[in-house]
Amino acid sequence: MSTAALKSKSRRKFKREWLTSYLFLLPALSFFIMFVAYPMVHGVYISFFDYNLTNFKFIGFDNYVTLFKDKNFHQSVINTVVLVLVAVPIVIGFSVFAAMTIYKKHELLRSLFRGIFYLPAVTSVVSVTVVWNWIYHPNFGILNYLTGLVGMKPIFWLGDPNTALMAITAILITTSVGQPIILYVAALGNIPISYIEAAQLDRASSRQIFTKIIWPMLMPTNLYVIVITTINTFQCFSLIQLLTSGGPIYKTSTVMYSVYEQAFSFGNFGLASAMGVFLAIIIGIISIIQFKFLGSDVEY
Amino acid sequence: MKMLKRKSLLLMVVVLLVSLVSACSGNNNGGKSNAGNTGASATPTPTVEATADTAEPVEITWWNFPNFTALDGEVGKFEKQIIAAFNEKHPEITVNLEMLTFDGGPEKLNVAIATKTAPDVIYDAPGRIIDWAKKDLLASIDDMFTNEVKADITPAIIEQSSVDGMMYMFPFNTGPFTMAVNKTLFEEIGALDLLPLDSEDRTWTVAEFEAALKAVKEKAPDVIPVGFYAKSQAGDQGTRGFLTNLAGSTFLNDTNDSIALNNEGGVAALEWIMKASKDGLLAPGAASMAASDHNDLFLQGKMAFAINYSAVLKTQFAPNKASDFEDILLPYPTVDGSAPKLEPFLGGLAIFNNEDAAKVEASKKFIDFIVNDPEWSVTALKQTGGLSARNSITGIYEGSEYAYSELARKFITTPPTIADGYAEIRTYWFPALQKVLLNTSSAADALAEFETLGNEAIAKGKAARTSN
Repeated sequence: MSTAALKSKSRRKFKREWLTSYLFLLPALSFFIMFVAYPMVHGVYISFFDYNLTNFKFIGFDNYVTLFKDKNFHQSVINTVVLVLVAVPIVIGFSVFAAMTIYKKHELLRSLFRGIFYLPAVTSVVSVTVVWNWIYHPNFGILNYLTGLVGMKPIFWLGDPNTALMAITAILITTSVGQPIILYVAALGNIPISYIEAAQLDRASSRQIFTKIIWPMLMPTNLYVIVITTINTFQCFSLIQLLTSGGPIYKTSTVMYSVYEQAFSFGNFGLASAMGVFLAIIIGIISIIQFKFLGSDVEY
Repeated sequence: MKMLKRKSLLLMVVVLLVSLVSACSGNNNGGKSNAGNTGASATPTPTVEATADTAEPVEITWWNFPNFTALDGEVGKFEKQIIAAFNEKHPEITVNLEMLTFDGGPEKLNVAIATKTAPDVIYDAPGRIIDWAKKDLLASIDDMFTNEVKADITPAIIEQSSVDGMMYMFPFNTGPFTMAVNKTLFEEIGALDLLPLDSEDRTWTVAEFEAALKAVKEKAPDVIPVGFYAKSQAGDQGTRGFLTNLAGSTFLNDTNDSIALNNEGGVAALEWIMKASKDGLLAPGAASMAASDHNDLFLQGKMAFAINYSAVLKTQFAPNKASDFEDILLPYPTVDGSAPKLEPFLGGLAIFNNEDAAKVEASKKFIDFIVNDPEWSVTALKQTGGLSARNSITGIYEGSEYAYSELARKFITTPPTIADGYAEIRTYWFPALQKVLLNTSSAADALAEFETLGNEAIAKGKAARTSN
């Protein structure tokens, strides 16, 4: 067979395989385009329109100008940033601590703890919220009952501007640690014990073992956990919707809640889309920074 | 073999694609709404003369909030009975029922309107209905009203059901919004004489009201004297009615084109709220309390006065009462004990203009059946617990509270819900209350800011109407 014929045959084979692969991908890709890519592009498109129940008029960047002038939106951005800055480090710190504590335990104990920590993650947000609403209730809540035992006055956890956002943050943390703990336990289990034994033979302290061996080897997991936790925290909505409706005086309103409120309560779909685009850009920038600084190419 | 493999593969892909396409193309009810139309004017609403032949089968969709008390505890059961009775007279009209909730329903409607999948018939309150009418989303039902029918409805209710003299809502059930008191509690603490139950119209002063609150605080320390709430816009007619009567003012001016509450009386009323909160007369945590939480406290017997009640709500709340106490309707107190101004609860039916004359005509027949059928209109009205919007239909209930509710109709005033931009105005009301309750703003500043925002919303609403 000539070289040309061989090349032609190999090209045909490559085409066939390429076509087959994409035909298999097509159903999933269609769903992705229809339900993810298209709505994203369309969202950006309608953010340039005055789009409400009766209007659909091109207004350029007016929606963006409106949201940058809106005091309540500023408050929502501040609240969201505070949530991220407080919740993410606590979630990461606690998850690593919990994983370090339980990963050496007997398998039964390990499974038990993993189950306990993962429970809030698999429980319906609505159910979790109902329970926390009862815990925080100003008149009948168990938290005020306990603080009352030590002589404290009742606190309106979700009604006081000084405590509402922190009360929401506490719930967010409890529902966010489940998956990171599972991932860290798995990652810790994958670190070869010989590295740690060698370090111990060289008289390395526990702190040195953690900072020089364990932590660097957790970096790929760290990156994933930090990025996902940050994105999830930025998108905090259900807790706000179910517990405080963004109040009191917008002290717990988040960007995601503002998007919902503008779109579905007030019918301002254009402005809501602009908020959504703004949030996507912020999350994108932060994710890129996280990938840049937390990405690890360390090899052992 | 290879050929067979390839054919199997191709077949599998085709099957997947077909299933994908069919999954995505189905489930369209074909309801084309003019909601969201731009530029082009909406199709003119068909009149009775220009209707399609209704002997042809027609399918309409009815979205309903829980306006009727659930029959046997089953939401939607009564509505299905109405539809079945209607179908005995009109078998050619299929009515698809969808129940909404008061919490998520408004959002669902907004999305439906924006995506042109609005229902045909909606049973709701004028706050939303008239806003839709102003946006040209509804079909006029003016042809359903004879002069005789219009004369049988009070002007305040006509005003709430129409835009520029054109009727868009068929008012059905009504009743003044009032306060309520746990009479049994006052009997127990020996303070029944502090309630204004001797006079027929039960009017009373703020000083008398305060005396009753202090008696509760002193003699029943575990009971909250009076409720208040400001978590969200839900139930805002209660806080509005309570404060405007305390202020001796109205919410909007006579022509509904500016906020009227920002005056000496309004500031004094908000300062009264602040003081009552400080003195422990007002529900603690009111800033973060929802109207539903406030109702629950009253129904559980943990609160002496509720500020958002009516004969309709009394009926609807009856199954939720934790104990068998007697709940009595009371008007809001006024500074000098003069006649209060009570906003009416009003429920009515309207038709979305989905550019289908046959559907609009069928919807009119369905509404006519609910509000005018000799047998079912009364049954339906009783199921709402409300009084009839028609002046001639009275005495369908027994009991002192219904009698009082009928009497209190003389106090009914036009509510601000008919104002342009009202939907936006109400979004500024509860944050203003929150600021006052949380002491983050003075009463005067909170009201001044509310006035500014409210007036801007009215101006915006007027401009939007002009451009439509």
